[in-house]
Amino acid sequence: MQALQGKVAGMQVVSSGEPGSSPTIRVRGIGSYPGIGDTNPLYVVDGMFVDNIGFLNPADIETISVLKDASAAAIYGVEAANGVILIETTSGKKNQKARITYDGYYGVQVAQNMVKMANAEQFTAMALESGSDPDVSYILNAMQRYGRSRINPKVPDVNTDWYNEILRMGNKQNHSLSVTGGSERASYSIGANYFSEQGILDMKNEYERFNLRSKIDYDATDWLTIGGNVLFSNALQYQPDNSAWSRAYWAVPVFPAIDELNTDAWPVPYGDAQVLGYRGSQNPFTSMDFSNDQAKERRTLANFYTQLEIIPEKLTFKTSYNSIFISSLNRNVRLPYYITENYKRDVEDASISKSTNTWFKQIWDNVLTYNDSFGDHNVTVMVGSEYRDDAWDYLTARGLEFPYENEESWFIDQSLTKPEESVRDSGSRYYGLSYFGRISYNYMNRYLLYGTFRADGTSKYQEKWGYFPTVGAGWVVSEERFMENVDLIDYLKVRASWGKLGNNSVPASDGASTTSVVTVALNDVLTSGTSTSSNFSYLKWEVTEEINVGFTTHLFDSKLTLDADYYIRDTENAVISIQVPLIGQTVRRSLGVIRNSGFELGLNWTNEISNDLSYQVGVNVSTLNNEVLNLYGQEYIDGGSAEFRQRTMIGEPLLAFFGWETDGIYQTWNEISNDPIAVENNLEPGDFRYKDQQAEGEEGYGVIDGEDRVILGSYLPTLTYGGNLGITYKDIELSASIFGQTGNKILNRRRGEIIWTADLNMDADLAINRTQIELDESNNVVRVIESGKYPSSKGLRKGWNQKMSDYLVEDGSFFRIQNVQLAYNLHDKQWFGVNMPDFKVTLTAERPLTVFKYNGFNPEVSDGIDRQTYPIPAVYTVGLNVTF
Amino acid sequence: MKTIINLLKIAIVVFAFAWITSCESVLDEPPLNTAFTEDVDYTNSDNMILPVIGAYEAFYTRGWEEFPLISVRGDDVNHGGLGDQQDFAETDKFNYNKDFWMYNSVWQNEYRDIFTFHSAMEEVEKYREYANNDALANQYIAEAQVLRAFLMFQLSRVWGRIFIPTNSVPTDLLVAEPASKDEVMQHISEQMDEAAASLPGVHPGERTDIPGGVTKYTALAIKALANLELKNYQAVADATSAIIKSGKFSLEEDFYNLFKIPGKLSNENILEMQYSDFGQGSGDSKSYLFGFFGPQGAFYKPKVTGAGGGWGFYEPSVKWIKFMLDRGEVVRLQTSVLFTPRGIAEIKSDAEYATLPDWISNETPSGDVVLDYPRAMFASGKHYLPSDQLIPGRTAYGSNNNFRCIRYAEILLMHAEALTQGASGTGMTADQAVNAVRERAGLDPLSGVTLNQVMDEKFAELAMEWGIRYYDMIRLGRTDQLSYDGRTFTDDKTFLPYPQNQVDVLPNLEK
Repeated sequence: MQALQGKVAGMQVVSSGEPGSSPTIRVRGIGSYPGIGDTNPLYVVDGMFVDNIGFLNPADIETISVLKDASAAAIYGVEAANGVILIETTSGKKNQKARITYDGYYGVQVAQNMVKMANAEQFTAMALESGSDPDVSYILNAMQRYGRSRINPKVPDVNTDWYNEILRMGNKQNHSLSVTGGSERASYSIGANYFSEQGILDMKNEYERFNLRSKIDYDATDWLTIGGNVLFSNALQYQPDNSAWSRAYWAVPVFPAIDELNTDAWPVPYGDAQVLGYRGSQNPFTSMDFSNDQAKERRTLANFYTQLEIIPEKLTFKTSYNSIFISSLNRNVRLPYYITENYKRDVEDASISKSTNTWFKQIWDNVLTYNDSFGDHNVTVMVGSEYRDDAWDYLTARGLEFPYENEESWFIDQSLTKPEESVRDSGSRYYGLSYFGRISYNYMNRYLLYGTFRADGTSKYQEKWGYFPTVGAGWVVSEERFMENVDLIDYLKVRASWGKLGNNSVPASDGASTTSVVTVALNDVLTSGTSTSSNFSYLKWEVTEEINVGFTTHLFDSKLTLDADYYIRDTENAVISIQVPLIGQTVRRSLGVIRNSGFELGLNWTNEISNDLSYQVGVNVSTLNNEVLNLYGQEYIDGGSAEFRQRTMIGEPLLAFFGWETDGIYQTWNEISNDPIAVENNLEPGDFRYKDQQAEGEEGYGVIDGEDRVILGSYLPTLTYGGNLGITYKDIELSASIFGQTGNKILNRRRGEIIWTADLNMDADLAINRTQIELDESNNVVRVIESGKYPSSKGLRKGWNQKMSDYLVEDGSFFRIQNVQLAYNLHDKQWFGVNMPDFKVTLTAERPLTVFKYNGFNPEVSDGIDRQTYPIPAVYTVGLNVTF
Repeated sequence: MKTIINLLKIAIVVFAFAWITSCESVLDEPPLNTAFTEDVDYTNSDNMILPVIGAYEAFYTRGWEEFPLISVRGDDVNHGGLGDQQDFAETDKFNYNKDFWMYNSVWQNEYRDIFTFHSAMEEVEKYREYANNDALANQYIAEAQVLRAFLMFQLSRVWGRIFIPTNSVPTDLLVAEPASKDEVMQHISEQMDEAAASLPGVHPGERTDIPGGVTKYTALAIKALANLELKNYQAVADATSAIIKSGKFSLEEDFYNLFKIPGKLSNENILEMQYSDFGQGSGDSKSYLFGFFGPQGAFYKPKVTGAGGGWGFYEPSVKWIKFMLDRGEVVRLQTSVLFTPRGIAEIKSDAEYATLPDWISNETPSGDVVLDYPRAMFASGKHYLPSDQLIPGRTAYGSNNNFRCIRYAEILLMHAEALTQGASGTGMTADQAVNAVRERAGLDPLSGVTLNQVMDEKFAELAMEWGIRYYDMIRLGRTDQLSYDGRTFTDDKTFLPYPQNQVDVLPNLEK
């Protein structure tokens, strides 16, 4: 999937970096409210609808295309509201001799773009200027326990680079074998694939998968074609305990990973920050060594179809049945250990938790197609219906105190204690029904017109049925007589479309108040009661309405291809979380209209300089303007969280960051006493100055309060661009693709964590560029020693400097070289008189370079709130493709 | 043959489309794993108790930040937790920040439960129709009313002017006007009169259907508290007299263990939040986060190894400790404070307290030792559970212990205060009430108690409990007491500011 990044205008791929996980894809910005609906586009693999393609072997993909506008997507139904990605896997052709292909690669993953964390010296400086005597005493405790550094005697003799301790190089390999071919009546493609990947966190953290697939199409008689496509996938994953990453980020550098002084510890004497006085033990190694999270995932995807020709060449009927069955078994084991009295997991608390998830999704499609020509007029009429059945079941239980030494005994059955409260089950079943009809007409293949109408029903929302029309028109201008002599333009088509589509991926709503069981201790007896909630979500269909105009042209003997589009896409009845007043809970309502609009431009230039040398360059650019048009009477809707406010206002982007603007840092006591705001709020040198948004004479001037908040930016990029370059010289191919975006802001949520916990480590940038201050014995600020970008260490702990402001909201623009590949082809060669198969050897670097200013690991944050504490690795591979 | 095939093809097409049309009813299938309230069988009257138990669950589930925010501002206790939660420390010093997450969280947690109590009352009403037991339905509704009143009481003491909900729908309050603190207290007093009439006249521990639940005397106690805020001393005396005369409550002899496991559902407790480990060393557990109050784990040496420490917040003030030393208190001082060597040194550094009684040490009467820890000098003994009272296998500080809300001692002292303020009461005289408390504390009796002596007794007896001292000083206008140890209290600091988040959603708050 990463391969698509940068190749298609208007498509954003947000990678996650964890082995076996698939990235988030977004087509055309975002219409739905993030965190509520699934904003992923629909994937159609060989006619099968799937939710993500992480299981698919990239070597099996023959073609990928992206359908972005509503009219093109209307055929695919209600899940197409976020765009459609059509994938065709390799299939055989009729009358083709069997072709056997081996494709494989081996590579390594290396962590990239690490955030530098404060080292012991920087951390000590921050602690000494923090104004908190306990934090200074922790440093003194560290010096007492571990000694003083020889380089700087004011710093403890420990300088742990936690990320260095926990990272390793991971490897990745993929081997696939496939046979494709066909006879006069049948075509087939059969393949097997093995994939394994090891993560960069130094613990049992890997993914292994085996796929088998078979695709057969057979013309049984001259009026009957049948086919079947089955994919079976079996994967075993050991997930990293992600708390290890966040612990590595927050762990202070002044205690070691291994601390021999913890003499009672078993099995390994890991270091414990609590010994120095810190609130938490902070060491990531206990999360890595004593957690074992296994997931077994088995999938079967099947698609069977029958195509009947009722009137030869004119009327055909196709019925197809799709089913996806996924079974996922999770086993989460927490093993016992002992470091110190306050940092341990007793044998009684060793836990094993198991859960099973089963998904079974069925779709039955029927389509009747009629096409005919009357002279130069060509007409196609299509009528169809679809039935969807989506079921999920879940069961979980937990056991404590089990025989942990041997993996064969890791069963709840073997546990001594089985807490009642941990046995839970759940399930869901949603149904959908659709009817659609489509008419397309063209005259001389020059003037095109089409229209679609859909009626979609669902059991998910309170309003069951939605009705969605689309129309489109096209004009192949280059076919016109007046264009015959224009040599420059080989092809020119102008197009426009309008359509409405419903979005089925918004999670279901209850629609009515619900009662649930709760338990309480009454005189030491566990007693059950019920709790009724009168806050429920009530939802209608979320509808996107889209207008698209554009043109495609081929110029200069088709050497230059240009695609340009302008789109306006409005999401009506957008599902938005609103805060229920007073109680801090949120419910979802269909409550607004959100508009995405912009340009998309794709340019491609191919040229053959000589017989041996040719090149190709492609560029795509797309702009996005996201604006809230209507909130059905409300002035604004608050989202995000209370401490990091995001506000949805008319005329501004959805969920824009909302806070105060900083205006420098107070440097001297003189400045403080001359500023009434600073005096009022008991500020000191080293604190932020905020901009008073009201002018003199206006109400609210001279006070910094809620009225001084402004829109600080949006997490949605305004411009995304991509490019690819390919050069072929004789048997050598070089290709590269790049990707970038600008205009988006990211909330550095990690820097906001200090609101709740102050005795953790910080990123080096914050320590180096703080305002350095001098404190007296009572921890009052005497003066600023050296000014900096950020407040003083003491200031960072004060509520005044923890406001939601442009300090926390950073620019998220980035540029990335997505991949670079060098390939060498060998074909039609002979060795010792024997015909050799075709070879292709490739060297690939994926994500070798990413450039950004943001103080985080990854500037691609799908919802703009960045808590990520792990790096996205770069991958370097060597590959081989052999075709017999 | 061809015709047959053609007919067959057409039949298949027609069948396919027709089958799908016949499936339309599946769209009306309800979501799974949810019990819709409209499906509840209200004719099953045995279930009428379930929503009430649900109300207790909501009442007992409290965030760790609620009690501290309500209670920290008095001169009996300091914030502790040095270096952590800066804004909490500032709140203790009367520097308020309306963006501080704690204010918002406390407001939301309490209001959420108030709406849950309304929901419970509405559910009981639906059962009443079929229950044929109006008295029982009234009792259950009264129980929810009492729990609701306790939280509204706390909310109004902290913020003053607040909303009074009338049903379980929060959005109804978008257009409502908040009520003044006096109006809220008056409302609570009337509600408690109504509730008391329907509740059983027993000690909470005597109840068999909901052991430890609220009773008539809980309602009267809250009525007394509300009227105390209104300075309506006669109403206070009437309520406290009724509680005293019932004879259902008595002071626990062992003050030390009153706050620990043996004191769960003690005869002295009128309202408490219940938690339990169910007698098991592991597995299910309901608990309150007492860890907030515990000495820092790395510096806590409990008698039973493995017992955990805490976060080091909520430090008894030096001012209070010196006040107790002046009175020659032993029992109450030893129970209420855990000392550290640094804390003891701090007291001794004042020449007047250079020699301290022998029993003052950093080892508690139960044998747990507290070494110096940087975040505070003392820890609250009323929120301390000795390591030898933990069920073996459980290590969390305070595991299995209840959280006390209203004690009989407070009722006696309120009674005494009301009488010294001129009200007339029955059951006990002011002297008898105060002396009962003093006797339990090992002090000599007084005669002819004055208001000042009653307030001093309250200071000694009820320190660190629910901010009683802070709100008493505000009520009596003795705010000079609150300006101690570098703090400066001014009247505009009486109430906390409304959380910014709430003002954004409910503009009527600041009008």
